[in-house]
Amino acid sequence: MEKLLTLENVNVSYVNKEKKVYAVRNVSFSIEKGDSLGIVGESGSGKSTLAMALLRLHNENLTEITGKALFSGKNLLEITQEEMNELRWQDISVVFQKAMNALSPVHRIGEQVEDIYHIHVPQASKKEIEERMIKLLKLVNLPERVYRLYPHEMSGGMLQRVAIAVSLLHDPKLVIFDEATTALDVVTQGQILEEVVQMEKEMDMTRIMITHDMSVVAASCNKVAVLYAGELMEVGYVKDIFKNPMHPYTQGLLNSFPSLKGECEVLHAIPGFLPDLSKPSEGCIFAPRCPHADDRCRREKPVQQTMKDTRQVACWLHQGGEENE
Amino acid sequence: MSKEKKIPFVSVKDVAMWYPYHGKSKNKERGEKDWIKAVDGVSIDIERGEILGVIGESGCGKSTLGKILTRLEDPTRGDCLIDGVSTKEMIKKSNKEFRSTVQIVFQNPFDTFTPRDTIEKILLRPLKNYKIGSDDDERRKMCVEALESGGLYPAEDIMKRYPHELSGGQLQRISIIRSMFLNPGFIVADEPVSMLDVSVRADIINMLIDLSKNKGAAVMFISHDIALTRYISEHIAVMYLGRIVEYGTADDVVKNPRHPYTRALISNCASIDPEDKQETISIEGEPPTPLNPGPGCYFAPRCYMACEECYKKYPESIEVGNGHWASCPYAREEM
Repeated sequence: MEKLLTLENVNVSYVNKEKKVYAVRNVSFSIEKGDSLGIVGESGSGKSTLAMALLRLHNENLTEITGKALFSGKNLLEITQEEMNELRWQDISVVFQKAMNALSPVHRIGEQVEDIYHIHVPQASKKEIEERMIKLLKLVNLPERVYRLYPHEMSGGMLQRVAIAVSLLHDPKLVIFDEATTALDVVTQGQILEEVVQMEKEMDMTRIMITHDMSVVAASCNKVAVLYAGELMEVGYVKDIFKNPMHPYTQGLLNSFPSLKGECEVLHAIPGFLPDLSKPSEGCIFAPRCPHADDRCRREKPVQQTMKDTRQVACWLHQGGEENE
Repeated sequence: MSKEKKIPFVSVKDVAMWYPYHGKSKNKERGEKDWIKAVDGVSIDIERGEILGVIGESGCGKSTLGKILTRLEDPTRGDCLIDGVSTKEMIKKSNKEFRSTVQIVFQNPFDTFTPRDTIEKILLRPLKNYKIGSDDDERRKMCVEALESGGLYPAEDIMKRYPHELSGGQLQRISIIRSMFLNPGFIVADEPVSMLDVSVRADIINMLIDLSKNKGAAVMFISHDIALTRYISEHIAVMYLGRIVEYGTADDVVKNPRHPYTRALISNCASIDPEDKQETISIEGEPPTPLNPGPGCYFAPRCYMACEECYKKYPESIEVGNGHWASCPYAREEM
């Protein structure tokens, strides 16, 4: 499959006069066309920082970004803002957690959609835009009248659907969902996830889903990347990782979710707290909380290993990959 | 369920909470139409040492029910009995005594504590108010012990800190510790983990289980996370628009739901097992407003199996065995 986005050693740090916070460290992975990748981790693990870096939404005076993010031949982390503007909406779009804040409260949905459409297609007529948008609204199961409503006239679930529809306006190659369903009800979340998966089949889009909820990933993604304190712990296919998590952190995360219908096992929390991100780490960053950590883990940083099932794990336990199951 | 005439520890009797609605019909006389029925006729029992899970969509009245039970709101109708005594009478007699029997743990641990006080001051206050321990030194020792029993180390250090210096998980644990100080018989936990990171959730949950098992407290666990509720509680009550539509043991309700709303709710709940792809039942539309929900079953307009009868009269609850009941005429039928 064709690679759509390739990250190579991406580092993002927030800098101010006193200190430097290393929010994302040496993250490398790639996404193929048609993939849906879930990025999971605790709060503070750098999920959103990574996504914002890809979209170049960080304040450039306060962040330091190094590494490569290749997207159709361009390095997203180096191109100018003008070039980035060309890509936004057209090739990459984003859906944020709070759709009510993403939409202007004083304009009708239609007016906002026209604005966005005109950025890339200035000559488009109003009728053309409306037709396109109504088609998209149907995709997310919303009635036509939504086009003429103000955001306050709709519920949270409807707004989130509008935000998803708007993000698809220009048929982007890559859509990033930043906790897009977190604030919603179980029922609404379930419905939206199902619609998104359905849409993906029809529209050939690639999706990055940022969430802290493992069940959302299980329900809607085919690949998963587990981040901890800004470092990539494990990345691979959902079906492999959920069945047989290899990294102790992934195991810990999965153990802290109860199963809906299966046996009631005892829930285990991961002891300890996130490390101080302003200090560069020596050794494995998860070592202080890891039940299997030994001296080597505390001394040397584990290298990413590719396993049989194409997943990559950064852990000394699975060094030498192939012989370990 | 035993047929003996034992008085349940906490007994909620036909509780209702109606809020006046100042909408379009402002100038009209206030008829029945002008009330928002947040909770409308809920009856439920909780035994000592039992955890009851309450689930439902947002706006279904879960939190209002919790507020009524802790008497943060006075119900419009009905009453809640603890050990056979009406809470209304209890609070009239002695507010202080009531507050030591019933405690609540709130959703957002960052808003629960006074930002100006240290944890020590926060924890000492209830002990002082209820004259537990002879002097401050003894009380302080009790605080340290309680913190350590909740897995908060080093306790001495934490006592000196301010709430903003602690993480959400630590604060929520302190919140539970504080609510346990007076050995309450009944605790309402209103979405205690929804604000917390997944990796610390398990700690809080295990703490609540421990509390109910070892100290014999009755716990009402309000949540929208079905998997978690099933894990923690013995019984589950499903609420929809201010009424309980289904009640039963946790396993019965989750594995064998009888009310169409519960079925839809559970089918929409994402499972962490990627191979557990179940047929999702879609619910049409948004939950209707609790303002004038109509004479029939409140769920009928969104229900996939509603018949004419459903729109006319609110269905009676049908028991399907093992104390498991649902307010639906089709409760006994397979879907």
